[in-house]
Order: sequence, then structure tokens, then C-alpha cells
Amino acid sequence: MSAMATESTSSPEPAASAGSRNVRNGGRSLPGPTFLRVLNSEVIKFRTLLSTLILLASTVVVMVGFGALSAWGTGQFADAATRDPQAAARMASQGGDLAVSVPTSGIAFAQLILGSLGVLLMSSEFTTGMARSTFAAVPRRLPAFAAKLVVVMVTSFVVTAVSTWMAALVAVPILDNYGLTLDPGSSQSVKLLLVNSVYVAAVAAIGMALGTLIRNSAGGIMSLVGIFFVAPIAFQLIPGDFFKEARKYLPGNTVEPLTAAQHVPDTLETWQAALVLGGWVVIPVVLAAVLLKRRDV
Amino acid sequence: MIEANGLTKVYGAKTAVAGVSFTVRAGQVTGFLGPNGAGKSTTMRMIMGLDRPTSGSVTVNGLPYVRHKAPLREVGALLDAKAVHTSRSAYNHLLAMAATHSIPKSRVHEVIEMTGLDAVARKKAGGFSLGMGQRLGIAAALLGDPQTLILDEPVNGLDPEGVVWVRNLVRYLAGQGRTVFLSSHLMSEMAQTADHLIVIGRGRVIADAPIRDIITGKGQSRVRVRTDQPDRLHKLLAARGASIDVPERELLEVTGLEPRTIAAAALENQVMVYELTPLVASLEEAYMELTKDDVEYHSLPAAEVSK
Repeated sequence: MSAMATESTSSPEPAASAGSRNVRNGGRSLPGPTFLRVLNSEVIKFRTLLSTLILLASTVVVMVGFGALSAWGTGQFADAATRDPQAAARMASQGGDLAVSVPTSGIAFAQLILGSLGVLLMSSEFTTGMARSTFAAVPRRLPAFAAKLVVVMVTSFVVTAVSTWMAALVAVPILDNYGLTLDPGSSQSVKLLLVNSVYVAAVAAIGMALGTLIRNSAGGIMSLVGIFFVAPIAFQLIPGDFFKEARKYLPGNTVEPLTAAQHVPDTLETWQAALVLGGWVVIPVVLAAVLLKRRDV
Repeated sequence: MIEANGLTKVYGAKTAVAGVSFTVRAGQVTGFLGPNGAGKSTTMRMIMGLDRPTSGSVTVNGLPYVRHKAPLREVGALLDAKAVHTSRSAYNHLLAMAATHSIPKSRVHEVIEMTGLDAVARKKAGGFSLGMGQRLGIAAALLGDPQTLILDEPVNGLDPEGVVWVRNLVRYLAGQGRTVFLSSHLMSEMAQTADHLIVIGRGRVIADAPIRDIITGKGQSRVRVRTDQPDRLHKLLAARGASIDVPERELLEVTGLEPRTIAAAALENQVMVYELTPLVASLEEAYMELTKDDVEYHSLPAAEVSK
């Protein structure tokens, strides 16, 4: 008994330090990288880059600017239509309500800007070397990937939705001048706003997946442009039914069937379009996540 | 404690690290010394779970780094002074890193102060000099107050004051019982900082020993002898198994014999010796000796370069 007592008192220091180290090692008392903490970190990283904020602001400017221009153009067109029966026929063929799609007329540019933002968020980690810090802090890697994905998708959705709304507010008085009405609260307006915002968030996710796979800013953005701008035109120019059919399955051509009031011929059904767009997001994102986990940083 | 076991990394046709095994113990500074391209950084990246070993394994405090619940609080690493987004300020970089482990803002300020970055903390890290980048990297490594520190070439690009600061810092941290693993390609730096040395060349461990053993043990002892009969003494000592250099007339550098044996041989044969000096190899020489066959990039002597 006494021997044990002496033994335990003879070396109090190593025992104490070993004890405190065990607590550290187990991480029981000290917080590690849970998903919410990693998400917080990614939000900090996102908002502390000037380039990110500039891209977001440009999106708003482009959306509102194109909304105003398009309102003016639509007004001119409608004006001409009242005098020109041919123009009136053209207008009727477009379903009558031209004004409703005015606020989302800048969407092609919004998707390019926010898609590039998605690419850059991940590719810049690798080009600057930041990835080594990021994945040393989150060695499991996937929480950091998921957090970044959440940040870029939520931001893209919100920025697109807000700027579409702002574009609508700017367009209403302009259209009013030409005797056209736009009700931003109508169900078709809300549908356009939501679907387009989801779509841009999807493009940003595809961009981030490309940035993760290619790890190079220029390469990632070029691939994005290839999928969304080059492929649709190329598929149209190449003769043959295969490309005509394949063109429907490009992600950029899913928006029309998703937002149409009635089904437009030669496009996918609404549910098909939703599945196709989902596939365009899920496949590259899963592939990027798997490779991110496996490759060296 | 860091334990590497048969750690191997192959990139295509090139083997960067070839079956390296070692143990880095707590409470001392362990130097990781090797020429450029020897595999030091690759080994450190594998410890941090950034590179996947082709074979073998490495653990930190008994667990692979990836499996620690709070990795930044367990291990702090400076792997590359440029592991920072160039457009983000030093403060925001540290803040984002800290957020992953709920490390308070006060600690961020603390490490900024400790590393002397106060004046530049709000500036973009991309504009930092190499020395400031190193300080930021060290600040990031200290953020989680980790038990184990891994520093890859921490004094690269530091000014003399910074070099002394790093030296004192790592000695202090090791004195607190922490594990400090420090790489360098400069032997002189190690001589002043490390307690234990792991020498690596071409992806293999060449030596793994306390630093004093490496200085005295591996550098074979030589003796400088001056005599007015160099030819005669040369023959006498060669007959006793010594290997001898003759850098100048009347001067022999003898390897493999004790000074006493040399003196006895000279006395017996009535050869006058007017200098007899034991030469202790410097750490630098010992290092060159150790790695001379394992240097990946050889340079030509100046004379040949200018030809």
C-alpha cells in the first residue's frame, strides 16, 4: 500500500501532463471541425474575398440592366405590333404575355457569372495553395466540400432571386409606359423567379464541381462555357436527328420546359427536365467529391 | 509523437519517399534534414493526410491525422508559406481557419501578436514577403495550441532576427513537452536547434540519432600531422592501415589512426613531428559525408561551370 502511495506521489508531473494530454487527444473537451463550424469557416472565406463580392454585385447589375433593356425592347415591340398586323401575329405566336419573362432576361449572363464564381471558389484553393490549409483543418475533406457547395448554391439562389425581383420592380414602370402590365406577384412570375434561381444555383454547383475536378480557373470556366454556350450552338449546327435530340438534354435547355405555362413542342416534359438538370448537378458533384477525397492535395 | 512505418510515396516513375520509418518523440526538437528533393516535404504532407502514401502508414499521437476529432488542436503544421489565398488578409485567413475548430477570436489576435504580424495582419497575404509568409504559416500552426508541431523549412526567407525567433520558439515549445518536427536542408541550422536528427536522402533515412552522435560518430576522426619527412611518415602510417591525404608539402591528414598511435610511430622511427592536431568533423561535414551519394541535384565546381 505504502509503496503504491509513494510511487504515485513520486511522479505527479508526468502523470498530470499525460492525463491532460489524453483529454486533448480524445478531443472530448475541445471542439473539432463539425459541419456547422466548417460552414461558418467557408462563409468567412466567401465574404472576405473582394473578387467574390464584385462578382455578386455584377450579377445584380447585369440582371437589373437587362431587365430594364428588355422592358424597353418589349414595349417597342408591342407598340409596333399595334400598328403592324405581322408583328401582332408574331407576338401572338409567343403566347401573348411577353412582359412576364422580362425580369429574367439577364439570366444567361447571371449563370455565366455565378457559374464562374462556383469554379473559382474551388480552383483558387488549389492555384493559391489555400487547399493545403483548408484540408489540414478539415482532413476528412468532404465537410469542407459540402460546406462550400452549400455556400455557393445558397448565395447563387438568393442573388438571382433578389436581382430578378429588383429587375421586375425596374421593369414595371417602363412596361407601364407602353401600356403593358407586369405583375411580379403573379404565379407565372413567381415560378419564373424560383425556377431560374434554382437553375442558376445548379449552374454554380456544376461550376464548383468542375473547379474541383480540373483545379484550374481558366480550364474550369472554359468547360463551363463549353457546356452552356458552345454545346447548344454546336448541337444545333451539326446536322442529324441525334444532335437535335441530344440538344434537349443539355442543362441550359431544361429551363424552358421547367417554366413554360404550356408544354412547348420539341422540348422535354417538365418532370424529364427536372431529372435531367438534377443529373447534370448530381453526377459531376459526386464525381468531384469522390476524386477530392481520393486525390492528393 | 509521430510514428512513420514503411512510408512510401511513388509519383509515376519517381519514388519520392522509399519505405521510411522513424519516430519523432515529444519533449524535444527533432530535425528532419536532407538536401532539396530528398522527400522531406512529401513525408510531411503524408503525415498531415494531404498526400496519400503509396504504402506504409504514419500516425500522430497514435492515430492517423485524418482520424483525429480536432486535428488543428492536435497538430499544427507549416507546410508551405504560400498555403494561403493570395487575396485574403492574414487576419481573415486565420479567422477562417480558427472557425473550423471554434477557436476564439482572442486566440487569433494572440498568434498574430506572437508572430509579430500586427502591422500587416489586415493586408492581403499575396503581397507578403517570404519571411512574412513564414510568420503567417507559423501563426496558423500555433492557432490550435497543438501538442505536435510540424514545420517545413520554417526559417526559409526569414531575416536573422526571425531565424533566432524561430529557434527560440521551437526550443520553448519542446521544453513544454510538445513534439516538434522541423525540416531544413541546412545542417548549420539544425546544429543550433535540434536535439535529435533524422537525415533523409533520396527518399531514404540515412541517419536517425541524437545530434551529438551524428557530429562525433559518423564524421570519422582525422588527425592533422606536420612533419619535415612527409614521405617517410606517409609510408609508416600507411603500413599501419591509415588513409592519408596530402593537402600540402609537410602536411598529412590522417584518417583511421589515433593521435597517440601516430606519435608513437613517429617516435619509434625518429621522424620529427611539429604539429599533431585531432580534427573533429563539423556537423556540416558529417552531413555532406552522409548525403554525398544521395544528393539528387549535383552542382559542378565553379571552375567547371565557367568553362
